[in-house]
Amino acid sequence: MDRRSFMRAAGIGFAATLAPRSLLALERADAVYASGFRAPDGSFGIATVSERGEIIDRTRLPARSHGMAFSRATLRLVAFARRPGTFALATDPFGTAEPVVITAPEGRHFYGHGAFSPGGSLLYASENDFDANRGMIGIYDAGDRFRRVGELEAHGIGTHDMAVSDDGSMLVIANGGIETHPDFGRAKLNLDHMEPSLVLLGARDGRLLQKHRLPTSLRQLSTRHIALAEDGRIWFACQWEGARNARPPLVGHLARGEELRFVDLPEHVTEGLANYVGAIAVNRADGIVGLTSPKGGLAVSLDARTGAVLGERPVPEAAGVAPGKQGLAVSSYGGSFNDIRSPVAWDQHIVRLG
Amino acid sequence: MLKALATAMAFLAFVSASTAQEGATSRTVPEPEAVRQVVEKAVDSFIRPGYRNFHREAVELAADMDALCRTPSPTTLAVARKGFAKAARSWARIEIVRTWPAIEENRLERILFYPDRKSTGLKQVQALLANSDESATQAAGLKGKSVAMQGFGALEFVLAGTGSENLATRQGDFRCRYGRAVAQNIEEIASELVVLWDAPDGVQRHWKQPGPDNPLFRTEQEAMTALLGILVHGAEMVRDQRIETFYKGADRPAFPKQAIFWRSQNTWTMVDGNLEGLRDLVLTSELVELLPSDQHSIIGSIDFVLKSLSRVVKTLHPDVEAIVGAPAGRQKLDFVLVNGRDLINRLNDDYGSAIGLTSGFSFSDGD
Repeated sequence: MDRRSFMRAAGIGFAATLAPRSLLALERADAVYASGFRAPDGSFGIATVSERGEIIDRTRLPARSHGMAFSRATLRLVAFARRPGTFALATDPFGTAEPVVITAPEGRHFYGHGAFSPGGSLLYASENDFDANRGMIGIYDAGDRFRRVGELEAHGIGTHDMAVSDDGSMLVIANGGIETHPDFGRAKLNLDHMEPSLVLLGARDGRLLQKHRLPTSLRQLSTRHIALAEDGRIWFACQWEGARNARPPLVGHLARGEELRFVDLPEHVTEGLANYVGAIAVNRADGIVGLTSPKGGLAVSLDARTGAVLGERPVPEAAGVAPGKQGLAVSSYGGSFNDIRSPVAWDQHIVRLG
Repeated sequence: MLKALATAMAFLAFVSASTAQEGATSRTVPEPEAVRQVVEKAVDSFIRPGYRNFHREAVELAADMDALCRTPSPTTLAVARKGFAKAARSWARIEIVRTWPAIEENRLERILFYPDRKSTGLKQVQALLANSDESATQAAGLKGKSVAMQGFGALEFVLAGTGSENLATRQGDFRCRYGRAVAQNIEEIASELVVLWDAPDGVQRHWKQPGPDNPLFRTEQEAMTALLGILVHGAEMVRDQRIETFYKGADRPAFPKQAIFWRSQNTWTMVDGNLEGLRDLVLTSELVELLPSDQHSIIGSIDFVLKSLSRVVKTLHPDVEAIVGAPAGRQKLDFVLVNGRDLINRLNDDYGSAIGLTSGFSFSDGD
């Protein structure tokens, strides 16, 4: 959906609710995004943002959010609470439909990520069955006020990011391998015996198609975020929980029927990323992969075909990354979003809406 | 490839622009040498003495349990119970350091398994006492058992749970010997932590001397962020785990028997010990030295809130059930919740921002 389609979908009603400056920002934007933020007064929300980084509209949230799921088919946007939160808010980017609060069932909390099926009828969410210490994928009926209709086992622990293949047949799951329990807040309970894995599941029946564990030497490499390329290739980004002076691989890719492969980043790039990639995105049209590291204060772009580094730039406290009209959009905790700084702290992820 | 390069350039152009803007905004980042001094004081004046003190009290507790087992009487039982309270308090002061090596090999859980919302640990201890499993009467035999049977939670039930009065006579022989093994196990873990922190080339050096070859911290800022993390997570533990586990506010149901050490009436021993540890860490490490002079009041405010919390906690009745059952008691708990949140925010946001974490400490944990 391009910006014109976005405007059409938004309709006159939405435009009428915007302040003149926001309306102008929307009218001249080549792309529109959404991202979670923290306001200076400590409150949290999600905002729609123009390509330049101007805030178009805001929706308040009860607590901090993390990742988002957006359906281009139904224009529904869901913001998930940061772990170990138990809410997700389903709204539309235009703020005209009634929001729906989704609550995780008893004994579960959201891990902060999810994705829609291609037609937008189902929402999948990564969840923690914390007493059993196993990751789950909750399934919600988007057409029935996001009623929970089922769940699938994620075949791992510390489930974090997830995606749905373009044809809807397969779920791609990043099990970070770290045990947490809400009784202990955000504490990581098993850093000396982590179990990271990447899992492909049949979306219809939950059948395990592939599970990729990491070698023993990389058992402290948390596989946390994923982005899908047009050819079905799955790019994943990692956070290293082992010795700070180690130089583990931080990004890799795999495809259905293939073993996973790590990208051999130049040493200075691995160092610049501080062993921690917070977000990953693929610009399919341009064939590039973007990585951001808040700890290293670095944004990196890779050639999606070869994995070669195309560019790297310091971005203090780099937060989210998403495909732009051209290239990549990057935000920061310090409030920068591409070329505009706003008085908010942008959260870790950005989703492109149109 | 050309297309990819061109679009990468577009990406770089965006980032350059925002970087230029960020560069225009001054951020206060403490000098590395100043950070090193603060971290050194935290390690040498708080963490290492804290573990040594905990170890001393654990040795005392093991001796008290041994005396109780050898000569059971109301007097030796009272001494053991007092020893438990002293050792628990010394642990409360240092348990806020929830970092390596305490988090390795389940040391934290083996010293204290809490909360035990489904009473899993309690049921295991009760079953062990009912079956008189002799393997649990030696510290070595405990190591292979559930973590919930190895630490303070188990020992509290031994000393203050149903049937604990038998400890004053030979009738409580097995119970006592199990309790003694638990105390010895706690002492052994305490000893491990002292040794690990006192090793000149070990964890203390990793904290004090960040650098490219350091397995914990590459820069002083990373070490400082971790030190602030101890304080933020410690304050969160007090409020979210030690209070909200049994009391979430006036309009919510209370669960006094979920409070830590309610049986032995040591709930506030623990909470006050935690607060004392937090305050001691803030003051002995001289965190204030990293702030510009016009922001010194941030530490003054943190100290004020910690003192206020401690003052109120000291006035709380040791019987948690009595507190949640009385409006005046609930008001005090509300005070602790509100000021506990304030403490978290002041550490996380105010101090975090002041030392260069733009959006505070918690925000910097990207996830």
